[in-house]
Amino acid sequence: MHLPDTERTIVALATPPGAAALAIIRLSGPAAFSTAAKFMGPPLTTPAHRLARLLDIRDGSRLIDRAVTVFFKAPASYTGQDTVEITCHGSPYITRTILNLAIRSGASLAAPGEFTLRAFINGKLDLAQAEAVGSLVAAGSEAAHRAALAQVQGEMSRKIRALKQAALHLLAGVEARLDDSHEEITPVKLSAFLRESGKLKKETLDLAAGFEAGRGIREGIRVVITGAPNSGKSSLLNSLLGYDRAIVSTSAGTTRDTLEAKLEIGGFTVIFTDTAGLNAAARHPLETEGIRRAITAISQADIILLLKDCSTPRTASDTLAQRRAGELAAPGAALIKVITKTDLPAKTRAAGGIKTSCRNGTGLDALRRALVARQKKAFRDGAQAPVIFARHFEALRAAAGELGKLQALMKQRTPPLELAAEHLRGTLNALGTILGETAPEEILSDIFKNFCVGK
Amino acid sequence: MTAFNYPAVFDVAVIGAGHAGCEAALAAARMGAKTLLLTQDLDTIAQMSCNPSIGGVGKGQLVREIDALGGEMARITDLSMLGCHMLNTSRGAAVHSPRAQCDKKLYQFSMKHALERQGGLLTIQDEAAGFLTRGGKVCGVLTARGTRYRAAAVVLTAGTFLRGVVHIGMRSFPGGRYNHPPSNLLSKELEHLGFKPGRLKTGTPMRLHARGIDFSKCEKQEPDSPPTPLSHFTTAITRQLLPCWITRTSAKTAAIITAGLGQSPLYSGKINSTGPRYCPSIEDKIVKFPHHGSHHVFLEPEGFSTEEYYVNGLSTSLPEETQLEIVRSVAGLERAEIMRAGYAIEYDYCDPRGLDYTLQSRAVGGLFLAGQINGTTGYEEAAAQGLMAGINATLKIRGEAPFILRRDEAYIGVMIDDLISKGVDEPYRIFTSRAEYRLMLRQDNADLRLAQHGFRLGLLNADHAPGFARYRAAVKELAAGGTPKAFRSACCAWTLAKARATAAIEKEYAVYIHRNLKEAERLKKFEHLEIPADFRYAHIKALSNEARQRLEKTRPLTLAQAGRLPGITPADVQLLWILVEKSRTHE
Repeated sequence: MHLPDTERTIVALATPPGAAALAIIRLSGPAAFSTAAKFMGPPLTTPAHRLARLLDIRDGSRLIDRAVTVFFKAPASYTGQDTVEITCHGSPYITRTILNLAIRSGASLAAPGEFTLRAFINGKLDLAQAEAVGSLVAAGSEAAHRAALAQVQGEMSRKIRALKQAALHLLAGVEARLDDSHEEITPVKLSAFLRESGKLKKETLDLAAGFEAGRGIREGIRVVITGAPNSGKSSLLNSLLGYDRAIVSTSAGTTRDTLEAKLEIGGFTVIFTDTAGLNAAARHPLETEGIRRAITAISQADIILLLKDCSTPRTASDTLAQRRAGELAAPGAALIKVITKTDLPAKTRAAGGIKTSCRNGTGLDALRRALVARQKKAFRDGAQAPVIFARHFEALRAAAGELGKLQALMKQRTPPLELAAEHLRGTLNALGTILGETAPEEILSDIFKNFCVGK
Repeated sequence: MTAFNYPAVFDVAVIGAGHAGCEAALAAARMGAKTLLLTQDLDTIAQMSCNPSIGGVGKGQLVREIDALGGEMARITDLSMLGCHMLNTSRGAAVHSPRAQCDKKLYQFSMKHALERQGGLLTIQDEAAGFLTRGGKVCGVLTARGTRYRAAAVVLTAGTFLRGVVHIGMRSFPGGRYNHPPSNLLSKELEHLGFKPGRLKTGTPMRLHARGIDFSKCEKQEPDSPPTPLSHFTTAITRQLLPCWITRTSAKTAAIITAGLGQSPLYSGKINSTGPRYCPSIEDKIVKFPHHGSHHVFLEPEGFSTEEYYVNGLSTSLPEETQLEIVRSVAGLERAEIMRAGYAIEYDYCDPRGLDYTLQSRAVGGLFLAGQINGTTGYEEAAAQGLMAGINATLKIRGEAPFILRRDEAYIGVMIDDLISKGVDEPYRIFTSRAEYRLMLRQDNADLRLAQHGFRLGLLNADHAPGFARYRAAVKELAAGGTPKAFRSACCAWTLAKARATAAIEKEYAVYIHRNLKEAERLKKFEHLEIPADFRYAHIKALSNEARQRLEKTRPLTLAQAGRLPGITPADVQLLWILVEKSRTHE
């Protein structure tokens, strides 16, 4: 049965995913301290309550990071259970490695809202806060449902279902013999059973290998900067970055190739692509090639920044840029209009859009906020998807472990069927964390379909 | 017609004296409740309408549990046993299951006598036709002739009698059992109270005269020697037991059945209700497994003082002339004579999802339902429910906490949770595969799991408590590797030898039991997290449609029950947990 387990030790990234200066990983549960001790040093005998310590995080002998770590003893912690908060450097590689280390040391990835659930159950939140928790978990659960639903159609789900069906079939074969009063059913054919369970174990491991715990943490928001030649694209990029990444000149068409630069905004990684201006009258082959690359970049972007220089009248290139941006945008991509050079006298009337000036910094903060607004919302109610993937990985590994034990048992001289059944049930339980409970009726149906069971 | 108001007022009234009714009445009376047991016919008390055998895989565990809780079934089985086998001995101890053949009449009269000897219990021959109600709650029974029996709680154990219809070939006639009238008035009364009964079907094979059986062509199956008693309170069975006989169907059997399907009420569409897949009629076996070859047929004596034989494996509702042909196509039965024809029976049952964990109706207070009326099949399943209903009806009128067994404590707990959570779509039979804690729920440790409840509730004789305590301590010590002091004289079945055997099993399964216990411990708290009866699921948007509908339909009583429903994810339970806690804090 799959019910929330408040006795297991859980781990999760407490800060938004993506590159940042610092990230916090939270570990909570009865075994939080001993789990942390397995990959953090120097050895901690009795960690002092609420005292920050600088500790080494190691994967075997390899130093991963040095992190400020605070130990909270139950019940004086956020969840009311023993809790470890690790403040490490915020690179996705480091956070992912630490999460993996914690899982290998016995922790499980937290489900959406699980920390807050524990805090609530342990009386750490008052009624007003509890109201907020309800909606928070609801949102998490909603996201989980959506993600699960998306996967229902997916190849992955179909494969996991096939594994479950195979395990169910093996179990039915065992159960039919155990529940057969008259010992009328022929004994289990051992060689076939071993072959099939071995195949099942291999398929399970293969599927697990396709995942890597923590994979799927967002790779960054792709933002493309486009517009007519000389609309200030490179200037805007440099202003956002705070250093001169792109060459800027007053002559149109200075940028010939696309140019990438990363920036961290509000905890999210944003990858900017500066592109050649969409010149309606391009002739030069180099410029044409630049425009071709710009078109590719636009079609792959999450956000398209469409620039219009307000100090010049509307040109054919402006019209072309607007049309192409609209046509090329990938489904779900956002188009943000940006009015540039607002420090100069206006020659066209700006119809909506964020008004900016690179010279005096007008509108840059508003633009930064606009770039991550969607992402922030997505993180709030949808970013549990990577967690769900990691849970699949865990479930498949657990299932393979059970099948390994099953194989060892079945190689005994007189294989104990009732114990074989325990491991097949363990396999189904593990897969059940993805697919839901296996009802006894499913096992019985398989039995009745394949065996003539008398009274 | 003036009503006869029966002068006494009862605590518990039980309707029906089958296997459920007898246990319910005895349990209530043993706990000190002033108890009435109503039966249509005093001479068919505890009748085994089908196979006169008790136990079997899974069922044997149930019987041991009933016994450990102070029920009567195992003791009466031991008194009337004519043959017995410990099943599944070639497999692990977790699935060892006792099964006994009984003398049908001896069983009935022994049970009747047990009822009569029980203080505080009055058994009356009368037909219940309805309920006395006050404020939507049941407060007594009204009989077909207008007598009114007042009672604080009523346990209804109507078996297959509600609108029972018997089918043989294309003929059908009303009957709760062959030659016994059905209870149609009660069915109407239940509908009147808001129940919506469904239909189920079951069947029984023909009975043969021994004279026509050529036993030399059958394989002899000797009973276990020495026989193992089913009850913890039977020290030994000394009477001479009888063998059973095994033979097989032939290719001719299959041909006769295939040709006769047009006359089968099952295959001609006359019966639409669902029968049990695990207890198939011979026509089902032939149709569904055409390439299976021959099927086993077990010939089992119906008693010490009768020549009648039960034909286990030939359950059928084909016409009588086809039945005779079928029988005579089986090796050794070429000259057999049928004394009673096999038949199918259709009857009303009430969706058990309308019950709470005590088997009390959620809609109608004071009314408990137990046995086949809840969609189960089998004497053992019925008796176990009857016992639990009798106990809980008594506890309820005393205002005491209910007695509920969890899935990790007993097969009884597994069965009741299955019934009230998932309902039934065919007659429900216990299987060991239904129990996720199978290694802990064994026939050898039913006493260790449940006897303390039996003593506490006053169902077991308190004189036996010290002997049990000594036994329990010995098992514990042995399992831990120690050597307990030898018993001078063992009480009941609680010998040092039995302690050694159980401790050895515990040791063998230790790793797995540890894992099971951890899991059970974790889930335990969810069993106590009750969901308010008026909890609304409809507005919880975060639940999937499927989950919402299932929760709305089942209305689980606890979070654990919700978690066991198909299609409910851990995230759903987590969400419910928060919302349930919140609704509690708001109150």
